[in-house]
Amino acid sequence: MLASLLTILLAAQSLPPEVVKHVVAGTTAQREGRYEEAIVEFTRVTVLAPELAAAHVNLGSAYLRKGDYAAAVKPLRRALDLNPGLIGAHQMLGFALLASGYSVEAIPHLEKAESADGLGIALFKAGRLIEAVVRLHAALEKRPNDPDLLYYLGQASGMLSKQSLDSLQAGHPAAARTHQLNGELNAIQRKLPEAEKAYREALRIRPELPGVHLQLGEVYASAGQWDKAEVEFRSEARARPGDAEAVYRLGHALLEQGKVKAARAELERADGLVPAMPETLYDLGKACLMDGDLASAEKHWRALLAIEKETQLAAQAHFGLAGLYRQQGQAEKVDAAMREYRRLRTR
Amino acid sequence: MRLATLVMCSLAAGAQFAGSGFDIAAPAGLDFRHSNSPTSHKHLIAAMGGGVALLDYDNDGLLDIFFVNGGELTESLPAREFFARSTPKYWNRLYRQNRDGSFTDVTKAAGLSASSNANYGMGVAAADYDNDGHTDLYVTSYGRNVLYRNTGKGSFTDATPRAGVGTATGWSTSAGFFDYDKDGWLDLFVARYMEWSLGSSHWCGSALRVYCPPATFPAVANLLYRNRGDGTFEDVSASSGIGALRGRALGVAFADADDDGYPDIFVANDGMEQFLFHNNRNGTFTERAVDAGAALSDDGKPVSGMGVDFRDYDNDGRPDILVTTLSRQKYALYHNDGAGIFSYRSLESGVAALSAIHSGWGAGFADLDNDGWKDLLVAQGHVMDNVEKIDPSLRSQEPPLIAMNRGGRFERAAGPALPAVAGRGLAFGDLDNDGAIDAVMSVLGGPPIVFHNRGGGGRWLTLSLRGGRSNRDGFGARVFVNGQRQDAGAAGSYLSSNDKRLHFGLGSAAPVKVEIRWPSGVVQRLDNVTANQILGVAEPEAR
Repeated sequence: MLASLLTILLAAQSLPPEVVKHVVAGTTAQREGRYEEAIVEFTRVTVLAPELAAAHVNLGSAYLRKGDYAAAVKPLRRALDLNPGLIGAHQMLGFALLASGYSVEAIPHLEKAESADGLGIALFKAGRLIEAVVRLHAALEKRPNDPDLLYYLGQASGMLSKQSLDSLQAGHPAAARTHQLNGELNAIQRKLPEAEKAYREALRIRPELPGVHLQLGEVYASAGQWDKAEVEFRSEARARPGDAEAVYRLGHALLEQGKVKAARAELERADGLVPAMPETLYDLGKACLMDGDLASAEKHWRALLAIEKETQLAAQAHFGLAGLYRQQGQAEKVDAAMREYRRLRTR
Repeated sequence: MRLATLVMCSLAAGAQFAGSGFDIAAPAGLDFRHSNSPTSHKHLIAAMGGGVALLDYDNDGLLDIFFVNGGELTESLPAREFFARSTPKYWNRLYRQNRDGSFTDVTKAAGLSASSNANYGMGVAAADYDNDGHTDLYVTSYGRNVLYRNTGKGSFTDATPRAGVGTATGWSTSAGFFDYDKDGWLDLFVARYMEWSLGSSHWCGSALRVYCPPATFPAVANLLYRNRGDGTFEDVSASSGIGALRGRALGVAFADADDDGYPDIFVANDGMEQFLFHNNRNGTFTERAVDAGAALSDDGKPVSGMGVDFRDYDNDGRPDILVTTLSRQKYALYHNDGAGIFSYRSLESGVAALSAIHSGWGAGFADLDNDGWKDLLVAQGHVMDNVEKIDPSLRSQEPPLIAMNRGGRFERAAGPALPAVAGRGLAFGDLDNDGAIDAVMSVLGGPPIVFHNRGGGGRWLTLSLRGGRSNRDGFGARVFVNGQRQDAGAAGSYLSSNDKRLHFGLGSAAPVKVEIRWPSGVVQRLDNVTANQILGVAEPEAR
């Protein structure tokens, strides 16, 4: 936009004084946020010099600044008719069209402008989800943690996922994966008996299907049926002995049932598979405390706190340490741990 | 040492206890039905009531049952502070037990039918506050609390104005008598829930109306009344330190946590830290639940404390604490490690796995099969009457939990499924004096369930204390039987009052060794006591 302004100012040197006067007035008004006034001045310029592409660009820019996206489309289109090589105009027109709901029309302009963020959003709005995900990923590399980009990437990925799953359900209603999917959908809605039934059916068809025992275990865990959860997690862990999550879940299920030594063994195994996983370290601390091994409990919680300092899990670890120190009669350490626990809890 | 014994009953123990070995058929004549009047406005009081007390009001040796009723709530707005308690449907009820195990409604004859229309009933505490040998009643409400003095002639009189224990306004829940200053007169603790009124009541949720969570309303301080010994009480809430803290109290229980000879107070708070008031032995208390490790879950999270028991579950001679909570919180079991320090033992004890998605109210440790280990019975049901629509995996009506204690670890009792109800209050006592602990559970908006224990295989001993220098009920006495410990009292559970007699299961032990550390300081030892009897024990005159 700055480039187009410079262009028009340079061009103005060979323009009649009245045109120059309106260009300057419009530019000043736009700079000072008086967009209505800028629009009046730039409109006058387009009347006085209708073949000057930059004049239409500036009018479109003023409309965009004002937030009147639909009105920006016409002057920007005119500018590109006069000079199709104006990349800035393509970008502005792409955004104006996108903001006005014309995402399909916006795409070629945003492609010409190589605007990854706008293009990703336009592609998503146009239903071209795979391309949208690619473009949004590219945009996020330039602007990590941008909330809009993250939002649209999430939306696009989710819809893409849904499309695939819809195809799965429609095309393969009796497949194990379809039952697995149905289990997941029921579990999300806390329809636990239905989820259990679907997962069981998936396993009946394909007993080796990865992850289903884990998911079924989670269903039982959410229903507080830890004994049944243990069975499923154990099946998953047996089938996939290198799966740290399955082993951790098994350890957690054992811990919830107070099977301390068995829980500790599984949690130590999970920690060996994927070291320094905070959830594993936290449960390991608890298991060791319950096992009477205060030194190991302290070691695991300290290891957790070396990784996570400001999270809820960190607060819990401090609270656990306070209890441990209380058992040891170390009042100063209890106070220090409780201070940290309270600090994090009130955040 | 003088031993005054009164053998009231000596029965051989029954057949092997088979898990939930209860008959739950309603005894003849027990026709109470709790009336909570739920409305679409979701007034929170409608979800919370249901106190029950087991007491022998006429001293005939048989436990009688007192139920606290709710009151009328209407759909018309604005809601009035009027609960139609003069209508029989909303009366509190006293049922006298007959010799044949049936019950007779004696509410009117006992002078207990005249609850004020301004009161919506909640809980009850039963004890002999005036040391006249007759058990009195203190009834809590949303509204005005009432002290009913037992005349000893089969009736009660409203002693509230004279006693000065009706100062509480708003919402009181559980209450309990105990002798915190050991002057021989029972004092009164009144738990209070929140600053709530019908005027400030509102429902939560959007499309689906639900009862509001407790944090929606301001917290409030509890009350402590000191018994002057002349039939009047002094409100010492402020001077004792009890009133300095605001909470959302639902349950209260007493025990001497640190064995310093003075009873401490545990308060179950809803959705916040629990309170453990340590008795400073000078008329004041210091709240130290966090420091003691008995305030939060093992993850440092607040729990929705509702019911409570303060009793030694693992026979190590120190009173532990059980707090029942809402679903997905796990009932909190705080093990007394000694020196006033507790550790969270819900997982190791099996309590966590038993309670994971359940919501508990009234609860207590009692040796249901007389094997020498106190088992666990909990009244259950989610507070939200439409919770199934929010979370299909939860239930507003649940079967009560019966868990057997196997050497300090609890296992769900075998046996047929019990009915799913909205359990609330729960009181323990031996209704038929057969040595097997029974229980009565109030059901929100429904008839109560009487758990008649068919008995286990073990021996037993029940002690009926009579204080002399100590308070007449002997509350606060630390009683050791073959190494087991119980602190005498009737408080605990939720809104309820237990049989004040102390029941011990003995397993196969034949000779019984009893030690009673009376609040007065007198230590009484009884050797070679015969098992399978209800033994009356009077406090000796001297140490």
